[in-house]
Amino acid sequence: MSEKTINVEINGRFFQAASGDTVLDVARREGIEIPTLCHHDGLEPFGACRLCMVEITHKDWKGWSGLVAACLYPVEEGLQVATDNDAIAGARKTVLDLLLARCPGSDKIRRIAAAHGVTKTSYKKAPHPTTCILCGLCVRVCAVKGANAIDTSGRGIGKKIAIPFRQPPPDCIGCASCAHICPTDTIRCEDIEPTGSAGGVRKIWGHSFEMVKCDACGKPILPRKQMEYEAARSGLDESYFSVCASCSQAKTFKTIGTAFDMEGVQ
Amino acid sequence: MFNQGPSWARSKAGNEMRIESVKSLKSLADKVRREQKKRSIEILVCAGTGCLANGALEVAESLERAITKRKLDAKLKLGVKRTGCHGFCEKGPLVVIQPAGIFYKGVRAKDVKEIVEKTLEGDEIIKRLLYRDPVAKKKVETYQEIPFYSRQHRIALRNIGKIDPAEIDDYIAHGGYQGLATALSAMKPDEVIDSIDTSGLRGRGGGGFPAGRKWRTCRNAAEEADEPRYVLCNADEGDPGAFMDRSICEGDPHAVIEGMVIGAYAVGAASGFIYVRDEYPLAVVNLARAITDARERGLLGDDILGSGFSYDVEIARGGGAFVCGESSALMKSVAGEVGEPRAKYVHSVIKGLYDKPTVLNNVETWANVPWIITEGADAFAALGTKKSTGTKAFSLVGKVKNTGLVEVPMGITLREIIFEIGGGIIGDRPFKAVQTGGPSGGCLPEAELDLAVDFDTLTSKGSMMGSGGMIVMDDQTCMVDVARYFLKFLVDESCGKCVPCREGVNQLWLLLEDICAGKGKKGDLEKIEALSDTIVTASLCALGKSAPNPVLSTLRYFRDEYESHIKGKHCPAGICKDLFKFKISKEKCTGCEACAKACPVDCITGEKKKLHKIENKKCTRCGACRNVCRFDAVEVVR
Amino acid sequence: MSKTKDAGRVSEKTGRKLDEKKIKALLERFPEGDPRCLIHALQDIQATFGYIPCEVVIRLCDRIGVPMSKAFSAATFYKAFSLDPKGDLIIRVCTGTACHIRGAQTLVDEVSGSLKVKPGATTKDLKFTLETVNCVGACAMAPVVSLNGKYHGNVQPGTLVGKIKGGK
Repeated sequence: MSEKTINVEINGRFFQAASGDTVLDVARREGIEIPTLCHHDGLEPFGACRLCMVEITHKDWKGWSGLVAACLYPVEEGLQVATDNDAIAGARKTVLDLLLARCPGSDKIRRIAAAHGVTKTSYKKAPHPTTCILCGLCVRVCAVKGANAIDTSGRGIGKKIAIPFRQPPPDCIGCASCAHICPTDTIRCEDIEPTGSAGGVRKIWGHSFEMVKCDACGKPILPRKQMEYEAARSGLDESYFSVCASCSQAKTFKTIGTAFDMEGVQ
Repeated sequence: MFNQGPSWARSKAGNEMRIESVKSLKSLADKVRREQKKRSIEILVCAGTGCLANGALEVAESLERAITKRKLDAKLKLGVKRTGCHGFCEKGPLVVIQPAGIFYKGVRAKDVKEIVEKTLEGDEIIKRLLYRDPVAKKKVETYQEIPFYSRQHRIALRNIGKIDPAEIDDYIAHGGYQGLATALSAMKPDEVIDSIDTSGLRGRGGGGFPAGRKWRTCRNAAEEADEPRYVLCNADEGDPGAFMDRSICEGDPHAVIEGMVIGAYAVGAASGFIYVRDEYPLAVVNLARAITDARERGLLGDDILGSGFSYDVEIARGGGAFVCGESSALMKSVAGEVGEPRAKYVHSVIKGLYDKPTVLNNVETWANVPWIITEGADAFAALGTKKSTGTKAFSLVGKVKNTGLVEVPMGITLREIIFEIGGGIIGDRPFKAVQTGGPSGGCLPEAELDLAVDFDTLTSKGSMMGSGGMIVMDDQTCMVDVARYFLKFLVDESCGKCVPCREGVNQLWLLLEDICAGKGKKGDLEKIEALSDTIVTASLCALGKSAPNPVLSTLRYFRDEYESHIKGKHCPAGICKDLFKFKISKEKCTGCEACAKACPVDCITGEKKKLHKIENKKCTRCGACRNVCRFDAVEVVR
Repeated sequence: MSKTKDAGRVSEKTGRKLDEKKIKALLERFPEGDPRCLIHALQDIQATFGYIPCEVVIRLCDRIGVPMSKAFSAATFYKAFSLDPKGDLIIRVCTGTACHIRGAQTLVDEVSGSLKVKPGATTKDLKFTLETVNCVGACAMAPVVSLNGKYHGNVQPGTLVGKIKGGK
């Protein structure tokens, strides 16, 4: 890719971008608000929610303009972008209206919809309501993690996030990245505290994962299965994972303090 | 159940079959032609899917047995050839006797004895097997006289019905692989692209994108990045009602292969796939056989015709997903993934299969390529219109008398296709609409029948030519039901990735279901139009973007029918079962009892020659009585 | 990646034994570590066993290097695949546009009502499966019904159940 700077116009103002930037990249960098639901900076853009639609045109396009997904559209020299106008507002409203019909019980969707002027859905509510908006973030983060434990099943209106053959996914390592990244808190993940001699347990996707305890303070840190997975993937020793973050930090301060005679400095 | 066998294993040819050079190809062609000339009579039996379903196999086997038994092959120097779809499926099974061109329709195995004795051994034509032209109102002996055929100009379908698709040598004898030979020996890759440019060939799958431009962009992108490139064939033909590509794959698979090799040479590709939809098992078998034979002959694979150019194809089968006809979804499917399209801000010619530059063209597009090379780009450009050159194959189906496959020059009017070639509406009922472009297209009413059929004219009127499916509808078709039908289709086929299509098309369908069930409300039509607008502008791919077309086009031309469903709770066409009743007209009923006999729930009573009556409580409104009544006595009432 | 489980030889769904020879022969057709042949492999599995048994998929995933979640995703995305065994007689009513306007829905309703099976489902005794197909490409003979792959054209309402229960 060339390092040439590309000049784009957003809402009448001119900005510089690099080859390979998307419209969303430039907008975010320059503090221009474009709403998203299925986007995450740590993952490749997906273009499924269609909330980030913007209108583009170009002086060479003979008056043609159209809506595109900002998260995916690559900038080009002379691109002219509008991030808010009647057409865009209308499209966003309809998308949120449709999501409200799908997920009437989701607070998050209700809030975003209300922020865009949609307080009640104009459409038929889903006969089996869910809070899953099929943004795909859980599947995508699981793929980046390398576990590939969950994916979608079916297609169209019947599409769901599924576990293979409806059994606890054999590849799940219990890291709960999916639950953390889910924008509507749909994925259930329950961490059960250790009681008596029983260690901590994480319940997710039908699994019960045994948690590794911190060597220093005894708190559950991460599932054993995840630890084994991360150790194998990174080449680090398992002992690296058996001390929790705070204890590890305390240890580090103590070490630094000792080395530089800074005892007493917290 | 169909099983392709070890398809990932490449077969190595026995060398004695290989055609080593352009010169050898010509010698082989001449040799086979000489052999074929020894036959004085050739009996062509249509063995396309349609005729096969009607018993064509039994007819062919019967003929072959009778001929062997009476030793007619030696005596009369004749032979039987099983060909691909002749196109006139309504009249099948079809048998054509050449060189006279005698055309027999509706042939059964029991007719074979008479055909052999009277027509082959004797010189007699069996009148009851002849086609009756509904316009001229008389029987016709030869197929050249049948308007259905005589009005056609067959380029993509040039060989279908003439050659045995299982015999590569038959294809070669009819000029097959000559185009490839010319391209490899006398043209540079750029010159091939120039030729396709000059011909004006535009994609026949529905998109209408100029093929030459596509090839050139791919070649340039690949050379710039020094990357391998792929040449693919889209044989997914998902539009319900369209079977042009099926017929070409079944009836002339080598035309597709030859076209692809020429394209691969032009673009510099070494491998590719033919993506065939799962619902076409015979097409897969015939293509697979053709690929094996072409490899054996050195016309596919390594060092083609001794030119040093190598290209090979494999068949990739669809899994029953209409969305996989979309180019990016197709490529994902070939790569072993679910067929979810991606936004094509970067086109597949730049980043396609495995993210490499890829040319994907439709079956019919590929089938035209060898002809363009041999007959010349100018010959192709001379046909059709300035912006839509050449010919187009259409599947003419629905309520039309002559249903089947036709290929005509672009620019012909809808009226000519439906009435002159199609013979008009079945039962001479009033024409109501013609649906083109499949689920992405629209319906056009009688007032638009004089529109020219090409890539751009129909689009300006709210429809589109699409891949060539043309469904004719009469007054007994409900346009609201048609819109509902297409939306249900798209709800089932949506990949589900993006919100406007997955949720929006589903909501559109729910609205139409309500309207057809008599639950339509004031404001529904405005709601449909507003929602359609977002689906069109915000959907991720062409499936979603074009999904509202059927409902928008029917609203444009048949709004009053919608109003009747919503306000009047009545379906005037007599289709939406909750919104009408059947009633037998006192004036028209002759008491012939045909309706009572046809009724599957025995709800019609009446004495012979007296007025019959339908018991509405039992009636399921299936329409069997209306279909069978010759006096138009079954009426639709509120 | 999935670990190789000792995939049971008995199908969970049918209780019948899965032919080990068939499984081996099928898997050998596909190159190790090449995930691109997933759809192709699923088609062969569907053709061989009449459905997609979990037990066979586990072994396929191991061989070609595809995560179970992806295989399940493909098996449920494409209509050609069935997670449940099909009936001895598979009745496919074409619901393409030409067939639709010539009364395909009536045929579906007839069979559904008579055999007490919903479209897409199989009767409990595994005798019949009723499916709708989006156009088999024989539009000129609409409405078209296929019984175990054999096509019947111009099927009139009231005649289909007879065809099914009579000769196949």
